[in-house]
Amino acid sequence: MALAARLVDVKKVYRVGDIDVQAVRGVSLDIEAGAFLSIAGPSGSGKTTILNLLGALDTPTGGSIWIGEQSTEGLSAKTLADFRNTHLGFVFQTFNLVPVLTVEENVELPLQLHGIADPAERKTRVQRMLEEVGLGDLADRRPTELSGGQQQRVGIARALVKGPTLVLADEPTANLDSTTAGEIMDLMQAMNERHETTFVFSTHDPMVMERANRLVRLRDGRIESDKRRNGGRRGA
Amino acid sequence: MARETIPGRLSTAHTVRVAWRNLRRNRRRTWITATTVAIAVLLFQCFLALLTAVEQQSFDNLIRYQTAHAKLYAAGHFELRDEFPLDYPLSQLERIQEKARSVDGVAATTPRLTFSARLSDGIDQIACLGVGIQVTGSDADVFRIPQAVVAGTYLTEDEDGLLLGSGLAELFGVSAGDWLTVLAKTQAGAYEALDLPVVGLVGTGNPLIDRNSFLLPLRTAQYLLGMETAATEVAVRFAARARESATLRRLRDAMEAEGLTVKSWEEMEQDFMALVKVKRTGQGVMLGIFIVIALVGVTNTVLMAAFERTREIGMMMAMGLRGTGVQRLFLLEGGLTGLLGGALGSAVALAIIGYFASVGIDLNALYGDMDLGYPVKDVLYPAISAGLVLGCWLGTGALAAIASLYPAVRASRQDPVEALRHV
Repeated sequence: MALAARLVDVKKVYRVGDIDVQAVRGVSLDIEAGAFLSIAGPSGSGKTTILNLLGALDTPTGGSIWIGEQSTEGLSAKTLADFRNTHLGFVFQTFNLVPVLTVEENVELPLQLHGIADPAERKTRVQRMLEEVGLGDLADRRPTELSGGQQQRVGIARALVKGPTLVLADEPTANLDSTTAGEIMDLMQAMNERHETTFVFSTHDPMVMERANRLVRLRDGRIESDKRRNGGRRGA
Repeated sequence: MARETIPGRLSTAHTVRVAWRNLRRNRRRTWITATTVAIAVLLFQCFLALLTAVEQQSFDNLIRYQTAHAKLYAAGHFELRDEFPLDYPLSQLERIQEKARSVDGVAATTPRLTFSARLSDGIDQIACLGVGIQVTGSDADVFRIPQAVVAGTYLTEDEDGLLLGSGLAELFGVSAGDWLTVLAKTQAGAYEALDLPVVGLVGTGNPLIDRNSFLLPLRTAQYLLGMETAATEVAVRFAARARESATLRRLRDAMEAEGLTVKSWEEMEQDFMALVKVKRTGQGVMLGIFIVIALVGVTNTVLMAAFERTREIGMMMAMGLRGTGVQRLFLLEGGLTGLLGGALGSAVALAIIGYFASVGIDLNALYGDMDLGYPVKDVLYPAISAGLVLGCWLGTGALAAIASLYPAVRASRQDPVEALRHV
């Protein structure tokens, strides 16, 4: 099966003052295309670091990372920015929507950055994506006029609108109540199945872990366990 | 088919829209910064309008009452002009003037005999400058002395008399109808004195004339100095539409062949022009300080905005916005703040300048007889051109954008991971 991403003996060492902190200690992981993979583990286990490395936001101090067929090794900051824009989508714990833009404009942002200059094409794609996440009638609202769940739906639409290879979500439900968190996971799962987009998300929440069809547990920067399921449990 | 733009950058229209909306996030801060810029622009434009008016009126004053557009001298006179020598007279005045008037762009000429003299009322004696002018026919074609008569009458050709500077008259305590004695050294070196009636007073706003000079008919001056038909200079007025530099060049070509020296009004007033430059520089430095303060305000505002939006910048960089895209956004925010302040300041400046351009600034009421350091008087009409306002407005935007360069570059160099972690 084709791989969406591959980590080969990846290490990451941070320098904090005079001390080297080993955040990731030789992680190797193959992520199949279409996976709905959850990375779990206690605080400091390296979840966010792995997501940052997969998201080409950070560079490893050892090992190599492949997204699709492309290695991220040795790419300049500008090339990495273009690479992220083309291949990756991000969903954030705190939504990170631009408050001065409407819902529609927030979702349109990655298309602008992708270089799609035709406003009609951008509008069509944004509208379709907003319909998919159930916000078709809220396109003109500002983020501050939306609930947390609605804001995260906008975040998901923004991550998916340009059709990325891989969507990375760092604790996407951490700021939501359990009902809304369940709805967001339903939406992500539906998108994963409908678009066959690969999702990798970090979480502390057992309910969220149960939704994944693959659960990778980290401890002290190493993979503690890697379990696969035949399809994660669907929400009610 | 979709048109492709540069990946990793927002379109200019989108960037402007986002930047404009970002300015409205913290409206109070934006308005405070824009107001600071507006005050600097207001001061700059009002000051510039005033300075331009003062300088223009000064130059006009010099040309109308003292220097004309150019003067012709016998070789050697100009170098010693501060001593008012009589040893380099111009003779054959008619021929010289005829030749000068034949030059394209020259409208009128007149001879003058300038000399050092002492005036006395029998009690006090004051050193001053005597100017013999050709009353009938030509001086009024070049200079505007008749229009500057503030008391009494202008000179007449067939009647001896003095036209006294108003400041000088005040020093003596004389008015039209009083008599003064003119004492001067003749060309031969002997002292000669003449009692002459004051026929009128002139107030030009030019301190050299008002406080230090008297005018008398050329014929009387020639008699007093024993110079028969000679003069020390021929003043030249250019036609209103003539190009000054080209006319001066042609005049030089024609007259220097005659062995005469041709000097423009700017060359004659080198000291004043140097003073104008010094004043411009000094006042420019003062204005520059205001502008720098306003620009520091812009830098600070953009710096704070960039700090507050660190995580948002991190998010946009994660989505693929390049550093140059981040820079453009903040440069535009700074530039727009400048344009906003510039528009506000320009609007107020235009209203103020427009008002004073119609009613004028009464210098006499403001300063009385105080020497402003410029030969100006009465009412000053400040003026400003649309081009200058537009240039100033756009310049303010550009300067504000430059002032935003540091915070913009700083924001663009952030590590996206660190930026996303920012609380």
